[in-house]
Amino acid sequence: MTDRRETWLLLAPGLLLLALGFLLPIARMLALSVDGPDGFTLSAFARFFQDGYYPSILWRTVWLASIITAICAVIGFPMAYIMARCNPTLRLWLVMLVILPLMTSVVIRTFGWMVLLSRSGLVSRTIRDMGFGGRSFQLMQTETAIVIGMVQVLLPFMVLSLMGVIGRLDPRLEEAARTMGCTFLGTMRSVVLPLAVPGLVAGSLLVFTLAASSFVTPSLLGGARLEVLAGAVYKNVTQTLDWNFAAAQATILFAGIALILVPYLRLGGNRHG
Amino acid sequence: MSDLTLTGIRKSYGKTDVLHGIDLAIRSGEFVSLLGASGCGKTTLLRIVAGLESVSAGAVAIGGEEVTHLPPEKRDIAMMFQSYALLPHLSVAENVRFPLRMRGHGSRADQAQRVKTALEVVRLDTMADRLPRQLSGGQQQRVALARAIVSNPRVLLLDEPLSNLDARLREEMQVELIEIHRRLRLTTLFVTHDQDEALSLSDRVVLMNGGRIEQEGAPRALYDRPETAFASSFLGAANLIPVTIAAGEAVFADGQRLALGQGAAAGPATLAMRQEDIELSRVGGALRAKVVTRVYLGSRHRYILDLAGQRISVLAANSLTLEPGDDATLSISAGRTRILPA
Amino acid sequence: MVKAVPLWLRAAAVVFLLLLATFLLAPLVVVVGVSVSESQFVVFPPQGFTLRWYENALSSQAYVDAFKLSGLLAILVTLSATIIGGAAAIGISRFRKPGGALETVFLSPLVLPSIIFAIGLLMLWSAVFGPTSFLTLWIAHTVVAIPYVVRTTLAVLAESDPFLEEAARTMGANRLQRLWFVTLPQCRPGLVAGAFFAFNISFDEAVLSLFLRTPRLTTLPVHIYGQLEFSPDPTVAAVSTLMILITIALMLVLDRTLGLTRFASA
Repeated sequence: MTDRRETWLLLAPGLLLLALGFLLPIARMLALSVDGPDGFTLSAFARFFQDGYYPSILWRTVWLASIITAICAVIGFPMAYIMARCNPTLRLWLVMLVILPLMTSVVIRTFGWMVLLSRSGLVSRTIRDMGFGGRSFQLMQTETAIVIGMVQVLLPFMVLSLMGVIGRLDPRLEEAARTMGCTFLGTMRSVVLPLAVPGLVAGSLLVFTLAASSFVTPSLLGGARLEVLAGAVYKNVTQTLDWNFAAAQATILFAGIALILVPYLRLGGNRHG
Repeated sequence: MSDLTLTGIRKSYGKTDVLHGIDLAIRSGEFVSLLGASGCGKTTLLRIVAGLESVSAGAVAIGGEEVTHLPPEKRDIAMMFQSYALLPHLSVAENVRFPLRMRGHGSRADQAQRVKTALEVVRLDTMADRLPRQLSGGQQQRVALARAIVSNPRVLLLDEPLSNLDARLREEMQVELIEIHRRLRLTTLFVTHDQDEALSLSDRVVLMNGGRIEQEGAPRALYDRPETAFASSFLGAANLIPVTIAAGEAVFADGQRLALGQGAAAGPATLAMRQEDIELSRVGGALRAKVVTRVYLGSRHRYILDLAGQRISVLAANSLTLEPGDDATLSISAGRTRILPA
Repeated sequence: MVKAVPLWLRAAAVVFLLLLATFLLAPLVVVVGVSVSESQFVVFPPQGFTLRWYENALSSQAYVDAFKLSGLLAILVTLSATIIGGAAAIGISRFRKPGGALETVFLSPLVLPSIIFAIGLLMLWSAVFGPTSFLTLWIAHTVVAIPYVVRTTLAVLAESDPFLEEAARTMGANRLQRLWFVTLPQCRPGLVAGAFFAFNISFDEAVLSLFLRTPRLTTLPVHIYGQLEFSPDPTVAAVSTLMILITIALMLVLDRTLGLTRFASA
C-alpha cells in the first residue's frame, strides 16, 4: 500500500458520506425543481415569478438579510476589536459571551425573544410606557422583531470571523500609526479597518447567507403574515406538500447563495465562525 | 569495511537536478560532515540515506547490504532532525524508548536499561519523566540525541542538529558530540552549513556545491589545501585575487610581483591568501597596499586594504594602528599561498 | 493591550460591552426566568419561584421521548462525525497545501445553509427508501457535524511538528504504528474539541430535524418548536433551561480541558 492509497483510504468514508448525504440530495433538489408530470418544465419557476406574492417574499428575504448583515457588521467590528486586543481574562469572558448564544439551540433563543417582544413582554411594555406606539403596540410580528432576533442569533458568526483576522494583525502597526500622528480613531479607520476587510467580507457573507436561509426565527417572530423564502419552502414541504414548487424555491435560494459564495470560496478564504 | 556506501546517487525533481552522481563511502566509526550552502543538495543526500527520499539513479548500501529501495523503517539507521521532532505527548524516557519499541528490540526491562544508559550519556537521566515541552531547547536537543543513539544504529544521521541553539550552547554541544562520538564510535553522517562545526567535529569533511562533491578530505587538509576557488572561499573566507603567473611569480594587475613556493603553469590564475596568514606592516613587506577601512574586533583589528585594485581583508594585532588612507605593506610566507585555476 | 486610548472611548467601550452582554444573554436569561415563575403564562420578570414546570416536563412522556431520541442521536453523531471527520482531517493534512480543494469540500456543509440539503435529503430519501427514519437523521446530523471536527483537527495538526512522522519512520515505526503512536496522539485535542461541537450541534439542531421529522421522529428542538408555534408555556421554558445548562456544562468542560479561546476562531 502506498502513502497516497492510505491517504485516500482515510478520506474515503468522509467523501462517500458527503456524496450520498450532501451532494446527491442537492442534485435531487435541483432535479425536482425542473421536473413536471411531462418531464422537464420551468413551470414552477414561472409560477414563482408571475405570482405577485412570491417576488415580494424574495424581496423581503433579501432586504431583511441585508439589514441584519449591516447591523452585525457595525456591532461586530468594535466587539471583535476589543476581544482581539483586551487581556486574556476579559477575552475568555467575551468568548464565552459570544459562544454561549451560538451553542444554544436557535429554537430556545427565539423563544426568549418571543417572551420579550410579545404584547405583554418587557420590551414592548417599556416602549409603550415611554409613550411610543399605541395602546396595542407590540414588536412581535413585525420586521423589527425578526431583525432583533436574527442579529442576536447571527452576531457571533460575524464577531468570530472578524476576531480571527484582527487577532492576527500585528499591534505594532497600530503603534506605528500612532507615532506617525494618527489618533486612535484615525488608526482604526486607516489601519485596522482596511486590514480587517477579509474578516468583514467572510463574516458578512456568512451572516447574509444564514439570514437569507433561516426560517425558524422569522416564522416564530414574524408570524405567517411576514413570510420569508425559507419559511415558504418549509411550508410547501410540510403543509401544502407541493414538492416541485418547494424545490424550485429552494433552488432560487441556492442559486442566490451560490452566486455570492462561489467567488468567495475561490479566494480560499474559509476561515470563519 | 565501510558502513555506508553511496554509488552514483542522482536526484532530480522534474527537470531540476539536485544531485549529479554522488559517490561516497564511510568507514565504520567514521564521522563525516556534509558541508555546503543551503540548496547544495546536502540535506537531500542525507534524506536519501535515511530512505525519506527516493533516488533517481544510484545505489545506497548500509553495512554492505543494498537498501536503495527499502523504506526508512527497515533501515538500520537513526536520524536526528533539525527541529528535534520529539513526540510531544511522550515523556523523555518514552521518547528515547520509541525506536526500541517500534523495532521490537529486547525485553521491556532490557529497553529500560538501554534508555537509562542513553540518557546518562547525554546527562539527562534525572529528567526521564518530564515532557519535552518542560525542557529547554538544549535539553530537548540532548533528548533527540539520546533517542538517536539508543538503538545503536549502523549509521547515525544528523541534520543540522545544532542550528537551533544559541552560540554558547552550540559550542558546548560540539564538545559533547566529539566526546560522545569518541565513546560510542557510531558511524556518523552530519549535515551542516557551518564550516566551524564541520572542521571541529569531523574525521572527514565532504564539501558540496551545486549537487556535486567539490572536495573532500580531513579537515586540516581541506582547510590548508583547497583545490578550487569555491573551496578556498567557503572555508575560512580567503582573499581571492586574479593574477598572471609568469616565471614562478604571481604578477598583479598593477605590476607588483610575488614569489610563489609552488610550481604553477604560466597564464592567468587566482591567488588565494587567508586573512590570518597575511602579515601587515607599515614598511618592509613584499607587497604595497592602501588602507581603506579599519574595523576593531576586540582582540585585534581587521583591515580592508586595496591591493592592486582589489579589496582584501587582513587581520592584524592591536599594537599596529594604521588609518584609512595610509600606505601599508604585506608579506606572506610562500607556503601559505595557493594558486587556483582562474 | 493597546495603550493611549482616550478615556471617553474606554468608557464608551465599557458601556458598549455591557449593552452587548445584555442583548446577547437576554433571551437566555428570560427563558430561565420563565421556567421558575409561578405564573402559568410565560411572563418575565418571573413571579415567585417554583420548580413545578420541571416536574411537569420530566413527567411528560412526549418530552422524555424527545429527550431520549435527541440524546441517543447526539451520542451516535458524535461518534460517527469524530471518526469520519478525524480520518478526513488526517488525510487532508497529508496534502501539504493548506486551504486546498479537499478542505473546501469538507467544510462546505458549514457554509451552505442546511435548509438546502435538508429539503434535498428529504426528497432523495423519499424517492429511494420511503419515509425518513432515525438513520436519515443520523446521516444528516453527521454531515453538518463533520466540518467542525475537520476544522478543529486540522487546526491542531497545523501546529504540530511536520517532521514527526518522518522521524517515526527513521525510528522503525511502520504505517499503522505511525498512525496509532504518532498521528492520533497529535490529533487528540482537536478530536476532543470536535466531538464536543458535534454533540452540541446534533443536540440543538432544528432545521434538518424539522424537515426530516415524522410523528415518531421528533427531537427535542423540534418538539419545542411545535410548542412555540401553538402554545408556549413555562414547561417549554423548563426544558429549554435544561438544554441551556447542558450547553454551559459542555462549554465549561471544553474550556477546562482544552481552552475555549483556542478553538473559538480556529
